[in-house]
Amino acid sequence: MDSRRVPGPGINIVQVNQAREAFARTVRARDPRLSSQSSAQLTTDSNAFPDTTTAMSSPGAIKGRHRCGNPNNPACPHCSAVIIPAPRASLPLEDTPSISVEDWVVSTRKKPILNSRELEEWEQVLGPLTLPEMIFGNSFVRVENAKHGWCLEFNALDALKSVKLEDSGIRVSYANKWIDSKKKQQRHSDLDDRSLEIGQHYDWTYTTHYKGTLKASNPIHTLTRDDAEVLPLDKLARPDPILFYDEMVLIEDELADNGISVVSVKVRVMNERALILCRFFLRVDGVLFRVYDTRVYVEFDENKVVREYKKYEGDYKSVLSKQNAGHSRDPKAILRDSNWVVQHLSLVKRECDVIQF
Amino acid sequence: MELDRCLELLYVGQLLPEATLKALCFKLKEKLVKESNVVHISTPVTVVGDLHGQFHDLLEIFQIGGAVPNTNYLFLGDYVDRGLYSVETISLLIVLKLRYPSRVHLLRGNHESRQITQSYGFYSECLNKYGGGSGVWQCFTDLFDYLVLCCIIDNELFCVHGGLSPNVQTIDQIRIIDRFREIPHDGAMADLVWSDPEDSSASDSNDGRSTASTTHFQVSPRGAGFTFGRSVVEKFLQLNGMSRIYRAHQLCNEGYQVYFGGLVTTVWSAPNYCYRCGNKASILELYDKDHSFFNVFEEAPENKLLNSNSATATGGFLHEYFDDSVGTADIFSDEYQVASASKRHVEYFL
Repeated sequence: MDSRRVPGPGINIVQVNQAREAFARTVRARDPRLSSQSSAQLTTDSNAFPDTTTAMSSPGAIKGRHRCGNPNNPACPHCSAVIIPAPRASLPLEDTPSISVEDWVVSTRKKPILNSRELEEWEQVLGPLTLPEMIFGNSFVRVENAKHGWCLEFNALDALKSVKLEDSGIRVSYANKWIDSKKKQQRHSDLDDRSLEIGQHYDWTYTTHYKGTLKASNPIHTLTRDDAEVLPLDKLARPDPILFYDEMVLIEDELADNGISVVSVKVRVMNERALILCRFFLRVDGVLFRVYDTRVYVEFDENKVVREYKKYEGDYKSVLSKQNAGHSRDPKAILRDSNWVVQHLSLVKRECDVIQF
Repeated sequence: MELDRCLELLYVGQLLPEATLKALCFKLKEKLVKESNVVHISTPVTVVGDLHGQFHDLLEIFQIGGAVPNTNYLFLGDYVDRGLYSVETISLLIVLKLRYPSRVHLLRGNHESRQITQSYGFYSECLNKYGGGSGVWQCFTDLFDYLVLCCIIDNELFCVHGGLSPNVQTIDQIRIIDRFREIPHDGAMADLVWSDPEDSSASDSNDGRSTASTTHFQVSPRGAGFTFGRSVVEKFLQLNGMSRIYRAHQLCNEGYQVYFGGLVTTVWSAPNYCYRCGNKASILELYDKDHSFFNVFEEAPENKLLNSNSATATGGFLHEYFDDSVGTADIFSDEYQVASASKRHVEYFL
């Protein structure tokens, strides 16, 4: 391919974008809200644990207890540091917003989808799995306890490693019809017998049993199974001010327009606790729904982590029939909303793990 | 309404009245019905891949690549769904095609279909923007049935939305397809808009074995649809006297992706796809059959308005993006920055 430019209509967009970026950066640099912060914070290495030297104030007081680390965003209303992550994370800067409360650090990173070089590397690692359409492979949500060197992270690579490399048994709604008609046509076309068999077996729905990646420097710090444990819904339902919030998609594939398979993570940090929800949502049109939820609840003062894992599954038709008449004009719109769908699925399995330091 | 008046409205992001749209669709159908399944055009032409309702990026493309009719455009399909401005995008393309029929060519993508648009947003968007019944959506999707399937540039560059089909060895076999219908699940027409190349060369060079099956057609593990390998492409090109295939249909971070040493190239023209992928996009400027340039670009600044609202492209949120401030606000102004920071989405999820 010849990339030589011949004079013609059009301008080179790279220059336009650079100019826009430069202008945006200038404007941001002039933002009075940013200049109120200490310059020290701007130079903090965002990868290192922010040191939690902030004086412990009386428990319950919001001011001074948490520490925010993120150079690019508007000010936190509580401590006037910047906390809320930028919606777009393709700047050249390493942008890893984080918040620290006592020994706990919650951090997130949002990056664009993998480029082709990264995709090739991932293909080597993940073997016969055909990679999903969108992989946000450099994004993560992480909660760590700096004192005990304990860390639980949600990322795309480990989620994909939990996808089974075997036939899922699920077929799109029209698969039988399709194969039958191909078999009839076979003698007229280029197909030999072998090409009507599925080439590579992997779970094309990308159903993952991923519950997060645990990294503990001390091997005794593992989560222990205790299904009797429950999440304190009363505490979580309270409208405590949210000090840090982020949400992101790790993996998404539209199954060649046969539905959707998506792994997304949300995190919110309040003064006394944090909650992470990692959700796998699958819709195969005309076939089924699955929602696998992993909730990680951290109680900062008790140094306690509860991880609850719930699997929901349901038949497509029975869920579709539950949407009420109000949506009948566009019945499929509601099926994109995993929060609505999960209420109409049945719980297949629940597990709970706990760790306390 | 006159076509130039329609263009004026559409270029500033306004919708056309329902009656006008219906008349336009009807007119275009009359034109398209006369076209063959395979259209022949010649360079210079600029090839545009998937747009998916990212209207501001379409306007950006006209900025970068030159306005119609000064530049010839070939669009490879997937104009609607997923993005928030499918109606604006397809309306503009329809009017451009009517106004400059020899300058603009529109191929059919897999999203130009009744079934797919009901699941991926275009149907909902038509209802939201035109209210009432699904008349506008019907009128658009009826038009989609008339869009052509393939295009050949300078008698040797084969352009299609998806890829090859085991039912198509020669281009004449495409010419005899009855295309005036909903895209079927199955058969040559489906494969042309659905299939994907499967490049196994990466693994071949490593372990040294090239299995015959991976260079031919393979059934996807979903149980329907094909992937096509290198030998299929070589055979097709040789048999039909073509030199390369240009297609769209698959997202790629760099805006384009080259397969089989350049025999097949994917062009992707929806930057920051779904307003959150962060990918680049490109348009392919073909000067003649041997000289071309991938003009790579990023999302239009207007899209950042949507981003800062932390857009989750679900139907329920749609209307809030269509207030008057969109398109007029200066996104770099302090007022805008402050407003968007305060609107940033925080959710008490459980």
